Amino acid sequence: MKKTTRVKMPQDQDISPDMSVDVGGLKLKNPVLLASGTCGYGVEIGDLIDLSALGGIVVKGLSLKPRQGNPPPRIAETPCGLLNSIGLENIGIEAFIRDKLPWLRKINTRVIVNILGNSQEEYASLARRIDGTDGIDAIEVNISCPNVLAGGLAIGADPNAAAGVTRAVKAATGLPVIVKLSPNVTDIVEIARAVTAAGADAISLINTPLGMAIDIDKRRPALGNVVGGLSGPAIKPIALRMVWQVAGAIDVPIIGIGGISSASDALEFLMAGASAIEVGTATLVKPSVAIDIIAGVRDYMKKNNFLRIDDLPIPRD
Amino acid sequence: MARYDLSAEIKKNEKLSDDVFLMTILAPEIARAARPGQFCMLSVNGNLRSDPLLRRPLSIFDSGDSGDISFLYKVTGRGTDILSQKKEGDSLDIIGPLGRGFRLDHSGPRILAGGGMGVAPLHFLAKRLEGAFSVILGAKTKGEILPVVKTFEASAERLLITTEDGSLGEKGLVTAMLEKELCLSKKNVLIHTCGPWPMMRAVHDLTVKFGTRCEASLEAGMACGIGACLGCAVKKTSGGYLHVCKDGPVTDSTEIDWEI
Ligand SMILES: Cc1cc2nc3c(=O)[nH]c(=O)nc-3n(C[C@H](O)[C@H](O)[C@H](O)COP(=O)(O)OP(=O)(O)OC[C@H]3O[C@@H](n4cnc5c(N)ncnc54)[C@H](O)[C@@H]3O)c2cc1C
Ligand SMILES: Cc1cc2nc3c(=O)[nH]c(=O)nc-3n(C[C@H](O)[C@H](O)[C@H](O)COP(=O)(O)O)c2cc1C
Ligand code: FES
Repeated sequence: MKKTTRVKMPQDQDISPDMSVDVGGLKLKNPVLLASGTCGYGVEIGDLIDLSALGGIVVKGLSLKPRQGNPPPRIAETPCGLLNSIGLENIGIEAFIRDKLPWLRKINTRVIVNILGNSQEEYASLARRIDGTDGIDAIEVNISCPNVLAGGLAIGADPNAAAGVTRAVKAATGLPVIVKLSPNVTDIVEIARAVTAAGADAISLINTPLGMAIDIDKRRPALGNVVGGLSGPAIKPIALRMVWQVAGAIDVPIIGIGGISSASDALEFLMAGASAIEVGTATLVKPSVAIDIIAGVRDYMKKNNFLRIDDLPIPRD
Repeated sequence: MARYDLSAEIKKNEKLSDDVFLMTILAPEIARAARPGQFCMLSVNGNLRSDPLLRRPLSIFDSGDSGDISFLYKVTGRGTDILSQKKEGDSLDIIGPLGRGFRLDHSGPRILAGGGMGVAPLHFLAKRLEGAFSVILGAKTKGEILPVVKTFEASAERLLITTEDGSLGEKGLVTAMLEKELCLSKKNVLIHTCGPWPMMRAVHDLTVKFGTRCEASLEAGMACGIGACLGCAVKKTSGGYLHVCKDGPVTDSTEIDWEI
């Protein structure tokens, strides 16, 4: 269990809190990242927000070969939530490195590449390809996509498979490896322990829980793929619970994800034990929300005399 | 292409018929940059924790030197219902202008064919076009198009109106009238169409039959409107998907696989 000691700021002094964090060797200027799949490859939203203000961005999940994704409709709105069945459409690792990375390199922020594959070998090849590439600061391993039955769900729900992929990626790269967990499991702590034992430098959670909606006028499922991943404020309590449980059980840093759309949401995750957070669906609705969150967290820390992000987690003993 | 994410002031939100509204917003940056066929993402709640969560895409109906931009919309669900209740002076978060607009650089004759709320982007196009063009407007009933007829009367060389119930113009469908027009028209016609999918598919079929070209303004469910989520996919004839918010909404009709 992670222990923390609180350092109180001297009263009556206007000292800016230190927002930087170290997430398993990945050094961030602040703990706010954009979540994979909700910020494209960066360039799509780069003119609407100042990406260099962020701790980093996690680009859309990439596979070895380009993927077309699932048939439409791919999105449906649910109460305070979004269901998506994008199906991991992406341009493939080579096109990313050739066409998108040169633009990203010019932005002063951390770039984390989210990878997905159907086998350990595919994950390892992706990690090897990324390893020698300038401009990529860490790898987030997506073992949790609910839309690709062959790889995603099977790997993310099985502790042995999850550990195997983690080990294969670790062996293929010197970059920090963040393993992103699926909530579609009975015991998230068991999976977290397995990937930690296999060498994960950090863990991010959660990916989207599986859901469904039906269009009663058309009398058919609202998504072309029938089921999809739920995201947005609707999933925040589930995500927070899982972060709290995992933080209480393992020692590696955690990145909290799920329904974060304000500074107070972010603070809840940081207090539950996360070292950083990712903002997903909220960015789709308001591209600049992550920047507001950074300012809000900083204000809270100032007001409550916290000097560092690591001082925020709630002590458990 | 410049895009803006602004909090803008609503200047007017007029009720034009039972369920059709015209909202005017002061957003000079967007108004200046806007091209016919482009759209904006409008926040209905201005709050990221509320329901409905997502912004709503609406085509730009008009945009002028005054810095105003307007949207013609029909109340079809909760989001547009909330929009319809907004008052003069309220502020509204809006991102735009987004997507690819209509081709303006065509030297031959043009026909604008709109169905239902598909008249909205065509209205802006008609205001910007130089030279002669014809307009065919279709709707279920007159309330849907009556409010815009005047503007088209002022700009179009020929204006033809159809309603399914016969309450305005001729009774029937847009495509029946378009077919008659195509029989009369000269070579090298460019058709600009916007409306429900089945209508645009039928318009596309006609253009294939007559050997003319057509660009269609597509619709798809959108989460972001800026190319970040890949949610707005539509199947292409050449395989794979295009993304309506970025590759469209205006697309050459031969690029679309209409059979779904
Ligand atoms: C690029 C683009 C431009 C558009 N321009 C206009 C416009 O100028 N004027 C206008 O009135 N409408 C326009 N639409 C459609 C408009 O976005 C939808 O009517 C609106 O999102 C419905 O929101 P709602 O919350 O009221 O309905 P919901 O509660 O979300 O849904 C109610 C009903 O509307 C249907 N619906 C939802 N989204 C769409 C959609 N994107 N297209 C068609 N039906 C939908 C649903 O299937 C459902 O039956 C445009 C759509 C796109 C993608
Ligand atoms: C449209 C969309 C696409 C996504 N694509 C990916 C992806 O490619 N890889 C991945 O690991 N997670 C993906 N996710 C999951 C998000 O990164 C995030 O884990 C999830 O949405 C929960 O966070 P949120 O509630 O803040 O959105 C996607 C989510 C959405 C909404
Ligand atoms: S709506 Fe998000 S990519 Fe088109």
